[in-house]
This record gives sequence, C-alpha cells and structure tokens, in this order.
Amino acid sequence: MTVFHLLNCSILTFGPHAVYYSATPLSEYDTIGTSVKAAIVYLGTALVKLICLATFLKVPENDSFDPYQELLKALIGFIDVAGLYFALTQLTHRNISQNHKFQAVGLGWAFADSILHRLAPLWVGARGLEFTWEYIFQGIEGNANLVLNLSLAALGSLMWLRKNKPRTLIPIIYACNGVLATMPSITCYLRTLGWHPPKLVAFDLVSSLVMAFISWQLFSACE
Amino acid sequence: MAGRWRGGGGGGEVVGSIYSVLALVLILVACVELGDAATAVDVYRLIQYDLSGAPYGSRLAGLNHHAGAAPFAPGADLSRTVVILPVRELNLTFLQEYITSKQPLGGLLLLLPQDIRHKSAGGNKSRNVGLLRSLLSELEQLLIHVNLPYPVYFAYEDDKINAVLADVRRGDATGQPATATTGGYKLVVSTPEPRKASSPTITNIQGWLPGLVGDGTTQLPTIAVVASYDTFGAAPALSVGSDSNGSGVVALLEIARLFSRLYSSPKTRGRYNLLFGLTSGGPYNYNGTMKWLRSFDQRLRESIEYAVCLNSVGSWNNELWLHVSKPPENVYIKQVYESFSEVANELGVTVGIKHKKINISNPRVAWEHEQFSRVRVTAVTLSELSVAPELLQSTGGLYDTRHIVDETAIHRSIKLVAESLARHIYGCEGKNIQIFADNSSLAVNPSYVKSWLDLLSRTPRVAPFLSKNDPIISALKKELSDHTDEVHLQHESIDGMFSFYDSTQATLNIYQVASVTFDLLLLLALGSYLILLFSFLVITTRGLDDLINMFRRPPSRKAKAA
Repeated sequence: MTVFHLLNCSILTFGPHAVYYSATPLSEYDTIGTSVKAAIVYLGTALVKLICLATFLKVPENDSFDPYQELLKALIGFIDVAGLYFALTQLTHRNISQNHKFQAVGLGWAFADSILHRLAPLWVGARGLEFTWEYIFQGIEGNANLVLNLSLAALGSLMWLRKNKPRTLIPIIYACNGVLATMPSITCYLRTLGWHPPKLVAFDLVSSLVMAFISWQLFSACE
Repeated sequence: MAGRWRGGGGGGEVVGSIYSVLALVLILVACVELGDAATAVDVYRLIQYDLSGAPYGSRLAGLNHHAGAAPFAPGADLSRTVVILPVRELNLTFLQEYITSKQPLGGLLLLLPQDIRHKSAGGNKSRNVGLLRSLLSELEQLLIHVNLPYPVYFAYEDDKINAVLADVRRGDATGQPATATTGGYKLVVSTPEPRKASSPTITNIQGWLPGLVGDGTTQLPTIAVVASYDTFGAAPALSVGSDSNGSGVVALLEIARLFSRLYSSPKTRGRYNLLFGLTSGGPYNYNGTMKWLRSFDQRLRESIEYAVCLNSVGSWNNELWLHVSKPPENVYIKQVYESFSEVANELGVTVGIKHKKINISNPRVAWEHEQFSRVRVTAVTLSELSVAPELLQSTGGLYDTRHIVDETAIHRSIKLVAESLARHIYGCEGKNIQIFADNSSLAVNPSYVKSWLDLLSRTPRVAPFLSKNDPIISALKKELSDHTDEVHLQHESIDGMFSFYDSTQATLNIYQVASVTFDLLLLLALGSYLILLFSFLVITTRGLDDLINMFRRPPSRKAKAA
C-alpha cells in the first residue's frame, strides 16, 4: 500500500494538469506543442536561476531570515518572468488565439515546475513504509502553483501581447504581475516564520485563487 | 542569447556546474532513501543455543509485524503481532502461561528500564531495586530454558519507544487490535537468519611468576589463583557480568600486580611459584578449566600446593564463603581456611566454609575448584554466593551490570586473598605483620581496580562470540604479561554439548503506517475532486451543453445508426 500512496499523491500532483488540458478547448486545438515548448523554456530558466543562485548567494550559517539574501532571491525570481516573456513572445506558435496561447504556456510551465520540484521527492519518499502528510500537502501546493502560473501567464500575455489596453489598468496589471512573481519568496518567508505546513498550504491555495480571480477580471476588462 | 553556446571555456564551466548540480541531486536522493523510519532503536536478541541437540532460546531473527501491547482480549490471535512488554510492569505468570501453552507470537520486545544501565542517584529505591533484580533473574531463567519459535528482543526504555508504546496502548484501548487495515505501528528488523557459530573457541590465559630458586634445585611449590572471565546471559550483547565474574578477574589482576611488585626484587621474592589463570568456559561446567588442567604436565600439577578460585566477590557486605570439595577436616583445607580466617578477622569480616561433595558421574560442575579436585589438586573457591548455582545461573545476566558492584568489597577481597597468600608464602602466620598495608607502596590501588572494572563492565564476554584475538583477550593477555614472566594463551573448543547461533544485535525500525482504508478513501476523494474539476472547467470554458453532450454521445450514435 505504499505504492498505493505514491499513486494517490501522483494523481493529486499531476492529475489536474491533465484534466485542465482535456477539459478546456486546449485539447481541441491541439496545443500540446506549445505546452512542450513552454516546458523546455522553463527548464532553461530553472538552470539559469540555479547558476545565479550558486554564484551570488552566500550559504547561510543559521536559519534566520536575512533580508538582503531574501531580496536577492526575489530578484532572481524575476528571471522566471523573463522566461515567461520569452516563451510567450519569442517562440513561434501555430495559429492559436491569444486566449489559448497563455493557457497552453501557463499549463506547460506549471507542469514542468511540478515535475522538477515534486516528482523526485514523491518517488523517493512516498514509497516508504512510514506515512506522513507531507506528500499530500505537496500535491495541494502543486495545484495552487498551477493556478498561480496560469494567472501569471495571463497577466504576462496582457502585458506583452495585447497592444490596446485601457490606460488606467496598466499599473494594476504590472502590480499584480509583481505580486505573482514574488509569491514564492513570500511563501519561503512565511516558512521561516514558523508556519506549519497546513497553514502554509491553505495560504497558498487562497492566495492563488484570489490572484486568479483578479487576473480573470483584468483579462475580461481588457477584452 | 538563445542558441549560442560557445565551446571551450564558457560552455565547459556551465556543463561542469550542471554536472555538479546533478551529482548533488543524486547524492541527496540516495541519502533520503536511507533515512526512512520514524524511529530506529538498538535491540539485542535473546540467545539462541542448542544443548545436546535440544533447541533453546529465540529461533528467529527477522521481524516484520505490527506492534501490540498488553492487555489483550482473551483468545486474540497474536501470531502476526509483536508484543511490547515493559519489564517493569511485567506479569511473569502471564508470560509463563503464554510460553508454556506454546501460543505463536509474531515477536516479543522486552523493554528494560534504564536503571540497570546507569547508577541510580540515591539508594532510597533499594526495595524497588531488589524487586527488579529478582524479576530480571526470574525472567532470564524462564527465557533461556524454553524454545521460542519467534524473535525475542531486548531494548532499553527511552522517550521514543515509550511514546510508541503509549500510542499503541491508546489504539488498542479502542478495542481493535492493530492489523493491516487499521493503521498503527510496524516494527521491522531486517537481519539475515541466524547461523550456527562454527567451532566456537574458548581461550585460557595463564601467567607464570616464578619464585626464588634456592641452593638446591628442587622444584618449588606453586600456588594458583584462578578466575573465569566469560559470561552467559539472556541477551549476549548485554552480558557484561560485572559481578559474575568481572569482580573476580579484577581481583586476580590486582593480586598479580601486587605480587609482581613483591617478586620484582630477589630480596623479597618468595619461595613459591605463582600461577595466575584466567579461564573461559565458566558457564559451561568450567569446561575451559578442565582443558587447561589437562594441558599441564605431571610435574606442574603435582607441584601445585593449593589453588584459590575467585567467583563473584564484588557485592558482599560482611561475609564471604570458602567452598571446598574435600572435607574441612582435611589438613590442607584446614591450613588454608585458618589463614583466611585470620586475615578476615583483622579486616573485620567473616569467612564461612561450605563443603560440597563431588559426584564424579554427574557432569554438572558447580564451582571451579571441583575441576581441580577431579585431578587431585587441593583447591577452594572464594565467593559471596553461599549456594552452588545451577547450570547457566549467576553467570552474568541482565541485572549484572556495573552498578551492583561495590568497589570496596573488591578491595577487601583482594586484601584478604593477597594477605593470606603472602603470609603463607613468607611464613608469617601468627605474627602481626601486614604485608599489603594501606598507604604503603603495596596497598591496593583503587583506581586500577576501578578502571578495569569499568572496562569489563562495558565488554560483553560470551565465549562463543569472542574470537581468538578479540580485543578484551588481548588486553587481558597484555596486562598479565606486564605482571608476570611468561604468559600463554590456550585455544580450545567448547565441548560438543553446547552450540550457539550468531546475530546478537540489530537495529529495530519503527514505522507509523496508514491503513488500506485510508488509502482507498483518499483515492475516492481524489477521484471526485478531479471529476469536479473537469466538470467545472468544461462548464466555464465550453458551456454546460458540452458537458451534457459528452455523456449523451453514445445513445445518440446508436440512434443515428438505427
């Protein structure tokens, strides 16, 4: 039943991506190529981030929260945004509408993120005899991450692909984008504050849903 | 920027750092694989041995079952449960009934209190301590004389195990024994099955201190001081035998040291040879002593005037016993006894004499001096035990650890033996001379005694598990060679009556497991979540009609075909 647990956690972590792909019109328009390209761009972005982290950050001696280091980590997090920009604008996509483009890119991005960050711990840890809630929380976090990445991709497409935007909304769009990009750093900070995993996961879920709602509103306002 | 990887320097660095990152990830993965369990505890297995072909002790070593704790519902099936029993609250009759009715158990884990490992702070718990001692010795005698076809392990109580036990008790209190469907704790010991220890050896160590050869070349008489150094107990990895017979070994070493100082100068060398023997095979009817004596040549054996065997001299208050096999009226025995009593009176203790006849046809040898008597050498055993122990009793068991030994008792025993031997050697009986007086250069050295006692109390010494060049044997040999002139090791094998099996120590992993029902429920919840998500997405992106059409497609196709 330990492999059973592994199966359950894998379904929780990777299932929603597959469901999203098959449920929305993405599957009808066969946008899998876009998602794959976005996943590869994510891989490249991750490598660049790793190299920057290794070069610029010092190894912390104790577990305390060092603002300078965290700021540096947040700045490096913006490389994510640069990667998304690259995926949205520079890659050649087949003729698919903007609506579907950002969804496909966001989905591919989130799927690659889940695979890279969550597959290895699952494979190594969830197969053991010992039962912990850790992997279920990780799966829920993966779901929240999917929503977050979709909203980030949506706002990104708004910023860079949509040329005619109402003037008043532009600063809001940029602000939301900034918040979304720094969300991982915020979660890290909360973890060092000593929040327990259930609270952290709940915060992740709620914040990603809220941001998704806001970006949905912004997107529909810019139609 | 995208596709311009320059070969050589820049690209090589990046590739190198990628490789190092990958290597780090692989190492992390490997490390996480190894540290899996919630709790890992050192456990020590019950001894497994055959006596004349009959199997005794715990016959299995591997363990992989759920944990359970007393009290159990009557008639409960425990053949796939590991029963955790803390020894402090043990109900011996329950265990006895369980064992004699030969009910199968998945395994047995006995928790020993920490008191027997560390010296308890105050002496105010003496009554509890006495109860614990008798309980442990009864438990030990029960376990080593039965055949248990399941693994039995001992572990020391600590916080982690106590927490697990409390949890198991709480789970059991709700009325369900832990099985595969209700979660709980799983105890896993993964060791290979125990194999017979092939040809176990016993090693006798002897040291010879020659006396002053006078003008004539007549053979000098010899006095022997003997102690057996090996132990036997329910948990061989825990059998340190501080009192039986660590105290005897320490006393022998100190006596050897004192006499080597006396014998170092020809002016003070006595006209007796001294033979020191550290024998093995004590619990097995003093098998090693017999083989050692058989290896003597005729002249040596006849030159031994008498032998003093030391057995458990570490925890007595006022009374020691001199055990003999020749009747006390015998002239030599009388001489020895009187020299001992004289010194004992000066020290303020009493030495009683106990006579036990040897029965040649009975293979049981209860005291070491009996082996000497069987080859017609006068010998006595000095011990705090007043009654001869049975086979495999008082051989250093679970309770016999450092904290029951009183060093001053050992000091007094050393003084008693050394003084009476010296007075006999130098012929000062009846004169008021103290050879090993306190505060003299020949006084008993307390730190020597303490350090050797501490070393022996940390070293389990069950003979079949000691190899020929085990560190403790080498240490004893080196120590004797510091004090005596010639040291010999004699390697023998234990007589065919006993055979032993290995695997005495292992690591127990305790896992907290979830039940199958939990996994099934989780699967159900996930399935419904994904279905809901699917429906929600279809409705919001394609519309409700699409969702309904998805489920109506097969009938409409049939309608079209018809």
